[in-house]
Amino acid sequence: MTHPVELRIPLGVGERLQQIVFRPGNHEYVAFGLVSHARLGTKDVLLVREVIGLDENQYQHAPGHGASWSGTSMLPITERATAEGLGIVVFHAHDHHGTTRLSRDDEQSAMRLLPFFQRRVPARPHASIVLSRDDAAGLFVYPGQDHPARREVRVRWYGQSILNWPARPATHLQSARFQRQELIIGAEGQDTLAMSSIAVVGLGGGGSHVVQQLAHLGIGTLILIDHDHATPDNQHRLIGMTRLDGLLRRRKTSIQRRQVRRINPDTRVTLIHERLPMPATIDALKRADVIIGCVDNLDARADLQQLASRYLIPYIDIGLKARPVTPSSAEEARVAIGGNIATYRPGGPCLWCTGILSDETLTADRCHPERTYATTTDGRPGEAQVVSMNGLLASQAVNEALQLLTGYAGKSITTASSTKKHDPSGAIVGYKKFLGTTGTLDEWGARARHDCLHCHEDLARGDPAWSP
Amino acid sequence: MHPDTITGAVNELRERYGTDVHVAQDGARTLVRINDVPLPPGCQPLATDLLLVLDPSQAKPLHYVRPGQTLSNGQPVQNSSTVVLAGESWMTFSFNVPYLKGDSLARFATAVRQRFGKP
Repeated sequence: MTHPVELRIPLGVGERLQQIVFRPGNHEYVAFGLVSHARLGTKDVLLVREVIGLDENQYQHAPGHGASWSGTSMLPITERATAEGLGIVVFHAHDHHGTTRLSRDDEQSAMRLLPFFQRRVPARPHASIVLSRDDAAGLFVYPGQDHPARREVRVRWYGQSILNWPARPATHLQSARFQRQELIIGAEGQDTLAMSSIAVVGLGGGGSHVVQQLAHLGIGTLILIDHDHATPDNQHRLIGMTRLDGLLRRRKTSIQRRQVRRINPDTRVTLIHERLPMPATIDALKRADVIIGCVDNLDARADLQQLASRYLIPYIDIGLKARPVTPSSAEEARVAIGGNIATYRPGGPCLWCTGILSDETLTADRCHPERTYATTTDGRPGEAQVVSMNGLLASQAVNEALQLLTGYAGKSITTASSTKKHDPSGAIVGYKKFLGTTGTLDEWGARARHDCLHCHEDLARGDPAWSP
Repeated sequence: MHPDTITGAVNELRERYGTDVHVAQDGARTLVRINDVPLPPGCQPLATDLLLVLDPSQAKPLHYVRPGQTLSNGQPVQNSSTVVLAGESWMTFSFNVPYLKGDSLARFATAVRQRFGKP
């Protein structure tokens, strides 16, 4: 059986695509998508890097055809695709709701175009896809295939949330157990959670809170990644850990699996007892619908960001720093506590844009390669950790994941809908700062930096398209 | 490495390594993967995939092997680390393999292989 092709479209790109192909006029409009591809578990995924429209004067008058355009108008597009090793998808729209399909004329056109694209870039798939207002259908030619073939299409749009086309009807199978939760996210949202896969990287003070809450929510699959074992001094902050776990130095992954099973036996759990970025961790992360990073170093954050950008996977990062300080008066705090929650929506600002990652911060972090939360290299106690403060950040991270998967606070794919309200700079929501001494969590927002090489270079690159 | 010289360099690698040479364009950079490159006796494993990254902004190719590769004395490579590159795990290491503009890429790959035999 052939699996559906999943098409992932980043924030901003999806809005532009819809503006082009649903534009009213006296003929159909086409958009050319430059795409990479990836095999993620059993899924064939096409990752849209950008879409390019045609000028009105590039269309030709062609009675009997929805749209016709000159061959020369495609030259810059095929040149770009060839230079960057990307596939080409021709999009157009049939402006109605419900199931759609390519017309006979569309298929004949695709049968001519796709082999032409394939000759230019043989190592990538190419496709012709028609969109309705909530569905898609397409014809694809994959590397090594002689003829284009119909494949079922699922479209994943990234915006305020992850919007899936076609929407799956709610099954209400879980209704009784999650009745009060469904008042917020709906039966359809609950089904989406049950069909979703979330990877949690780092199962310490933050990650163990996250896992506990995801199990309560009814997430279908949890991918739990940590190479570490529990020690007795973890117990004050590691949710689900017993004193015996510390004495026996049990794996943190095993402790969290036990926690999940006690809460929700229906949740499937995959354990990866490896350090990021070993191959098993990378393979597992690529299969996730959302990644939540609860890691203690910036190199791991950079790796997660790269994977998230490359495979268009939302990535939520949490980090907390708390340390004692010497107050100058009795009224001042004896501790400085700060934290971040950064939610990367594919196509939006990344951790490099926010400044959490930079060459300078990475260099500084690498000066302490042996640093752990337990002890520093010179034997002094490590970074401060308090279970309740970790829990606050973890809860918000889970809220962010819940919004991404169910869209309970909005489902629009427009950039404006993801923009911070009353902010003339156009900052995108998803970068929150925590001030521990006041207990406040403020939305700062972030702007995609136009000179951010990481956003630009890595976005939707997918698997390398190896050619012999 | 300038894009114009990459095709010639890859063809030279293909003469040496045959169908084990695979090429992918990854944005501005070119990735060249040579499968199952034999390493000096004693290395564990005895063959690895070698990745050469040809980046127009870099003066010399960057080289990587599969994670966990040891030297011929069975010891881990010093100053090595695992990185994510093009969505895969690769091991980077600080062998200083000489390379000047115009040098042979096949000779560069040979020098990287031989370096694993010098603990």
